[in-house]
Amino acid sequence: MSTKIIKTLVKKEMLDVLRDKKTVVMMLVVPVILYPLIFIGVMQLMAAISSDMRQQDYRIAVEAEDDGAFLHKLTENDDKWKDKGGVDDSDEAADSNTDSYTITIVEPDSIDDYESALQNEELDVYIRGTVQNGKLQYDVYYMSSVANSDYAMNIVMDVFDEYREELTQAKIKDAGLDVREILEPILYENQDKSSREQSMGSLMGSVLPFMLVISLLMGTMYPAIDTTAGERERGTLETILTLPVTNRQLIISKFLTVAVIGMISALLNILSMGGIAVYMYQILGMQTEVASFDMAKFYPAILVGILCIFAFSLFISAITMCVTSFAKSYKEANNYITPLMLVIMFVGYIGFIPNIELTQTMAMIPVANICLLIKNILVFKIDYMIIAVVLISNVAYAVFAILFLSKIYDSESILFGDAKGSLQLFEKRSNLQKGGVPTVSDVWFVVALTIVLVLYAGSMLQLKFGLWGVFGTQLIILLVPLAVVIYTKKDMSATFGLHKTKPIRFLGAFFIILGMYPINIVLSCILITLFPQSADNVVTTFSTIMDGNIVSIFLVIALAPAICEEMLFRGLIYHAMKSRYRTPVAISIVAVLFGIYHMSLVKFIPTGLLGLVLCYVVYKTGSIYPSMMMHCINNAVSVAVTYYPEKIEKIFPILYRESMSLPDALILSGVGLAFLAVGGVLLREKKR
Amino acid sequence: MKMSDNRIMADNLVKTFTRNEKKNRKVDINAVDGISLAVGTGEIVGILGPNGAGKTTLLRMMSKLMRPTSGMVSIRIGDREIADDIEIKRHIGYLSNNTKLYGRFSTAEFLGMLGTLYGLDKEAVERKTRKISDILSMGEFIDNRIEKLSTGQTQRASIARCIIHDPEVYIFDEPTLGLDILSSAAIIDFMKKEREAGKTILYSTHYMEEAEFLCDRIVMIHQGKIISEGTPEKLKRESDKENLRDVFAQLIEKEGIAYEH
Repeated sequence: MSTKIIKTLVKKEMLDVLRDKKTVVMMLVVPVILYPLIFIGVMQLMAAISSDMRQQDYRIAVEAEDDGAFLHKLTENDDKWKDKGGVDDSDEAADSNTDSYTITIVEPDSIDDYESALQNEELDVYIRGTVQNGKLQYDVYYMSSVANSDYAMNIVMDVFDEYREELTQAKIKDAGLDVREILEPILYENQDKSSREQSMGSLMGSVLPFMLVISLLMGTMYPAIDTTAGERERGTLETILTLPVTNRQLIISKFLTVAVIGMISALLNILSMGGIAVYMYQILGMQTEVASFDMAKFYPAILVGILCIFAFSLFISAITMCVTSFAKSYKEANNYITPLMLVIMFVGYIGFIPNIELTQTMAMIPVANICLLIKNILVFKIDYMIIAVVLISNVAYAVFAILFLSKIYDSESILFGDAKGSLQLFEKRSNLQKGGVPTVSDVWFVVALTIVLVLYAGSMLQLKFGLWGVFGTQLIILLVPLAVVIYTKKDMSATFGLHKTKPIRFLGAFFIILGMYPINIVLSCILITLFPQSADNVVTTFSTIMDGNIVSIFLVIALAPAICEEMLFRGLIYHAMKSRYRTPVAISIVAVLFGIYHMSLVKFIPTGLLGLVLCYVVYKTGSIYPSMMMHCINNAVSVAVTYYPEKIEKIFPILYRESMSLPDALILSGVGLAFLAVGGVLLREKKR
Repeated sequence: MKMSDNRIMADNLVKTFTRNEKKNRKVDINAVDGISLAVGTGEIVGILGPNGAGKTTLLRMMSKLMRPTSGMVSIRIGDREIADDIEIKRHIGYLSNNTKLYGRFSTAEFLGMLGTLYGLDKEAVERKTRKISDILSMGEFIDNRIEKLSTGQTQRASIARCIIHDPEVYIFDEPTLGLDILSSAAIIDFMKKEREAGKTILYSTHYMEEAEFLCDRIVMIHQGKIISEGTPEKLKRESDKENLRDVFAQLIEKEGIAYEH
């Protein structure tokens, strides 16, 4: 019964979507008709232009103190080319390639001002040869902005190359030396060991993933909007809800429709582009002798590629539908989907960046994993373990997204309400109310934006500027939330918790961070024993960028995060979450995000715990300043431990041990817990 | 008219909406505040009330589009009492101003799809469609796309949508709102005919005169609660008024809140 219902619903959604012109245009017309048309058009145009170029008459003026030597060379060359054209008449393919231009030598005397002659295109190239220090120096004047002049300059340059070669050889001969011996003292040759298929694959590897991402996005966008926001806009949602079908059946059928249309559209796009590539290859193969490659070698890649398209279209469909489900109309859905598309395209760009490897961690990052996997397969790097991780993670994300989607469809306030409290960023600014804290949707947007910026812009900055790049990253973390809060006219002190608090609270906070440090050391030791391969990850946090003086390191590693990260996590995120969820839920969200933000599976637990404790202090004190202090102390201690290993090891040798004995661990945890208890008591002082 | 067996029952229905007021303060509002109601076979019951009284929310809960915060809805078919959401939906034909039709389908296609979803086999769907087409005289436009139909034709297609599964209960939310005389007369005729056939009809309206001559029983609600209930005659007699409009005005006044027109 259920499958029959889903079948009917899918049929209904499919028909409904496919009868919408926009979808059909996006899905069929663009890849199947438009791409080849554009491509063939461009090819024709290029061919027309270049054949026009070859049949042009180029006007060149030579004024040189070389007794007409170069002029002679130029005209001799002209005759030679023309002869060649005559001889090669039999070869049809080469014929179109033959240069049949003519060169008209313009008398230099007839030109008053060569510059204006070039400007007016009366002259294409002007050559002046003067003797300087006993050497002939030719200056070639041309206009790179004028196609004819540019082409003529290239002809002249070729002649110059040949001319110089001739003169060199003559000089060497005159000196009684062996020409070969002088010009080629050593012999070298590069030999490409990549198979032809591999070079072809690596060429496609940068473009194809990006194309795939774009075409899937384009293919799923309209069906996703149409089946969710479109249905609400047309008022048919309530109709379908009167039917005896469950929400899950409804969502699954909508999702299947979008995913299938996305797949078909992606396949059509790829086929069309592939067809063009093969066509181009054939044409090239006819003209130059590009040896043919073995298509069969690409079969595994194609197979995995299709699997990737399937998994990826599930992911993209589910994600876009989650976003569009919040919208009431096409217009609103478009507003929501644009930032999502930007983020996805930005991540899809990863295929173009060289030297990013598909590691186990990378394999779990959506979009990036698919791009890198396709890139890998195309150069025949096939690791079934990684392929499985990529495919499974995509399917898993899709499942999560669908579960989220069914929550949306269970939520009556979204289905029947006017969906208030959603993203305010895209509202007209004059409609926004002053004061309060940002909405949760706004905050998720900020989180997504910040993570993307930190991941890409931040790591770029760090590669380029080292320590100061880290500072730049921190600035991003501070500026994005600030910009959003200012734009949406929210209350600064309420959003960031910029409230004064008593000195005793700071003392309590101090004790708590003092207690956290040993506990985190014990935790790290346990984690290192559990995951030995990632030990480096835990221990050497800052060593790679520790090349400044201690003051700047302190500023960048301890003080900047204490302000910027606190403002984002314990400020904006915590206060926005608290306005919607209960306090424990809000604190947990902050802790998990703070853990994720550190981008390491092993560091997740310690940093998450730290985030939890910092957030608890903000909750207890109602102010962000104590947690800023704690964060600063925590990072400063880490800096000191890394920067002055000898001095500190003498006082606290325990900080440098790779493993610790059980008694040591117990003592450390005991000390930590004692400090925590003292801090906790100090914070418990009643609020007035 | 003889009171008959109860067909659809609502027991102490409550629906609470949480509104986010200024500064993220949440305010709970009971749109429907403890309404119990039963409608029998061969009976038309009208729900009257000002805007925001909770009529739409009540009807949405009774047709299982919305989950009640508390209370329950059930339907009695023969000896069976049904409380399952999906099962109840099978026996209800629901029509409101928000139940638009799929413009990109023809009426025939749309009815076919609905029939399958209600569990009818192909042959039964075709037979049903033909019969409905005859009753509502939709023959000339049944294969046209719905977006191309006139308002009256669309209205007939909407009714066709409600009766394709031959439901025992009709729930209509302001079915005559904004319709011209002919179209609303068609709806009213439809309701009368279905009552003759022993169907149960629960509907809301703003038009007092229409309710007065059509309904067997009237339920007046205000701020989520029933403020009065009974046959039109009983209501008029009790409040000593000539017509329902005055009855209603008096009741609202008693509640202490002016009726916003």
